[in-house]
Amino acid sequence: MRCLAPYLYIAPVFAVTIVFSFVAMGISLVASVYHYDAFAGASEFAGLENYRRALFADDSTFWLSLRNTAFYSAMCLVGVLLTALPLALLCQRARRFQALFRTLYFLPSITPGVILALVFYHIFGVWGQLLDTAWTSLPALALLGVWSGAGYNMVIFLAGLSEIPPQFYEAAQIDGAGRAQQFRHITVPLLRNTLVFVMVMTIIGSFQVFTSVYIMTGGGPERSTEVIAYTIFINAFAVAGQMGYASALAWLLFAVVFVFVLIQMRIFRSRRIYDE
Amino acid sequence: MRARLALLLLGTLLLAVVFLRAGLTRGFIDSLFSDQPARAVQLRVWDWWSAASNEEYGRYFDAVEQTFEARNPDVNVVYQVVPFGNYVQKLSTAMVGDTPPDVFQSSVYWAEGFYHRGMLRPLNDLLAENERASPPERVTEEMFLPPAWRHNRAQDGTVFGVPQIIDAECLIWNLDILEREAAHDDAIRDLFVRREDNSIDYAHLRFDALTSWDHFRSVTRKLTRRRADGALEQAGFVINGYGGGAGMFSPWLSSNGGRYQDAAGTRATFAGEAGVEAMRFLARLYWEDRVCPPFRRQITDAELFQEGKVACMVAGTWSGKDIMRNTLGWKHFSKTAFPPGPLGDGQKTVTWGNMLVISRRCEQVDAAWRYVQFVCGLEGNLLRSRILGYNGPRLDFYRTEQWHRAMAERPYLANVKNICLAGEKLRHTEIIAVNHQVNPIIETVLLRFPRIEAGKGPYPSIEAALQEAERNANGVFRRYNKQVARWLEKRGEG
Repeated sequence: MRCLAPYLYIAPVFAVTIVFSFVAMGISLVASVYHYDAFAGASEFAGLENYRRALFADDSTFWLSLRNTAFYSAMCLVGVLLTALPLALLCQRARRFQALFRTLYFLPSITPGVILALVFYHIFGVWGQLLDTAWTSLPALALLGVWSGAGYNMVIFLAGLSEIPPQFYEAAQIDGAGRAQQFRHITVPLLRNTLVFVMVMTIIGSFQVFTSVYIMTGGGPERSTEVIAYTIFINAFAVAGQMGYASALAWLLFAVVFVFVLIQMRIFRSRRIYDE
Repeated sequence: MRARLALLLLGTLLLAVVFLRAGLTRGFIDSLFSDQPARAVQLRVWDWWSAASNEEYGRYFDAVEQTFEARNPDVNVVYQVVPFGNYVQKLSTAMVGDTPPDVFQSSVYWAEGFYHRGMLRPLNDLLAENERASPPERVTEEMFLPPAWRHNRAQDGTVFGVPQIIDAECLIWNLDILEREAAHDDAIRDLFVRREDNSIDYAHLRFDALTSWDHFRSVTRKLTRRRADGALEQAGFVINGYGGGAGMFSPWLSSNGGRYQDAAGTRATFAGEAGVEAMRFLARLYWEDRVCPPFRRQITDAELFQEGKVACMVAGTWSGKDIMRNTLGWKHFSKTAFPPGPLGDGQKTVTWGNMLVISRRCEQVDAAWRYVQFVCGLEGNLLRSRILGYNGPRLDFYRTEQWHRAMAERPYLANVKNICLAGEKLRHTEIIAVNHQVNPIIETVLLRFPRIEAGKGPYPSIEAALQEAERNANGVFRRYNKQVARWLEKRGEG
């Protein structure tokens, strides 16, 4: 009974995860090889036809939306690293009101995406119509992504920073290392695992961006903000009988994200930095 | 312990308030206190119109429910609001889950698709029986304006809906601006109706006031005002550059003798000479004639029009009541159809008639049909006109005293019937999917017209851009028709 107890504790969540994540994923994998319609159910085996259409058909927007998504993710990744880490460092040094700063920066993360999108829709309209040209609209959306994700990632970085033993900094100071040297030789290496986590989560999150696109641009202008999740949504829910095709797009997205994350994990593979 | 109990009570109270406020327990509480016997039939009606939208819609739904239930004591009408954007998904889910509504309003955007999916009950038998009803309750084809009775039937003649409203795209003109210009311009003065004594009626524009695209261009140029520094003070016309796409392009195409698609939904037909000319005409209005305000995503055409910054915009015939509401009662505007283009013939537009349909799984067809007859009959039309300001799709509606009174009170309604009659059938097959393929290309043409014309744009020419859009739309139609064949096969009707 004692051995069984832990499993019983996790059983409810495990069951929900199995049914709503893994079974759903299984259904979508099956759907991706059928001409599947949500209303009528699977109707005809399609083999790899949906994948072929996504990758090679003339009217497919898969590559275009993948390119847009990749640009968006790159901008978000750079933006998050350039904002969340400095914010965390500043917050860590704050002697007073640290909790207040943490809360304030975290607020966008708990604000519903739809509301953020509507607010920024009007802000960008006032700021020189950032959503009106093909070359500024995607960066504008990425700006919103960075703004809304910076606080959350700052808290993760803060947790990572608090794990670094202060003795390292004290020893470095005695050896005459400056702030920049301490950051480069102590903070960054010892924050490696946190960095990997933040990067992986940012990549996964930004590859799934949807709300801001749906609310603010509808994929325009000139398809410059049509990201892969938006393409999947349109095909799955707005086009008759294309659930199979949309599922194929979703699995292609999964494959791309999987490869990206794998590469990241390889590059930043955890190793001992300094012997304790 | 005491604190926990207090928190628990507070939580329960909060939950109860939320449930009560949301109306989730209204039926239960009503049943506790009501002394009326329960009605035998519960008729579930779905609509994207909502009693919560504003007071008028609230009053309309109350009036329909009360009048209908008073005449049909066995029926209890239960309205459920489904947002327009989620209609297809929610309805499909309800059908699969075996909880569809009995009756629902269907936009022409989806009606054909719903019918092909087998969601809608054919109404031919009920209509045949209805032939014997007295005219105000009769809802057969001859009772309606012909353009209203187009989107509600399949190619084989099966009728799957009864029109509840009729709408058309039209040009809406700010008469304050036109009247000012008319004071010193004969051509503008000629746009207005003349009374019998030859004086000018500044409340009405002639239905055929605009005689051609060139005439339209010259009028909008006259109505455009720039300050000394070149900044636009007043625009003659406004074009929705972002996402307007096919919706904005179709009426101009129609007025140039073109059609967006064939009746069967098998072929897109907008990239011919008429379409290219229409596209070029719109782009030139913006880039060469410079009669439009700059393309802005965040500012809608309606906002600019209501602020008096634009003399003319494209909108639905339904939009008059919204303009009045948003401007706190301003009604000095008028509507016309689209003037004929070089290949066109007479005033034209695109027209549609959203309809009431009965779900195929409806088990109380008799009650559902009585509801359809009431809402789509003359009385329902008059209720919508009186409370919501809609014009009706029925012929007898335009003969009523109420309609003539409405036209006298709101002169902008004067041309509405003729505009609706001048309409070709609005595009109707897989509109969202086709828009997804076509609209970005139309958007690109509008935004980059000068570069395209100079041979430096993303498309070598307007023709090439529209041909690509047409090819992509045809891809959607091809896949859709295959899907329809699969649905029919599955139902054993193929």
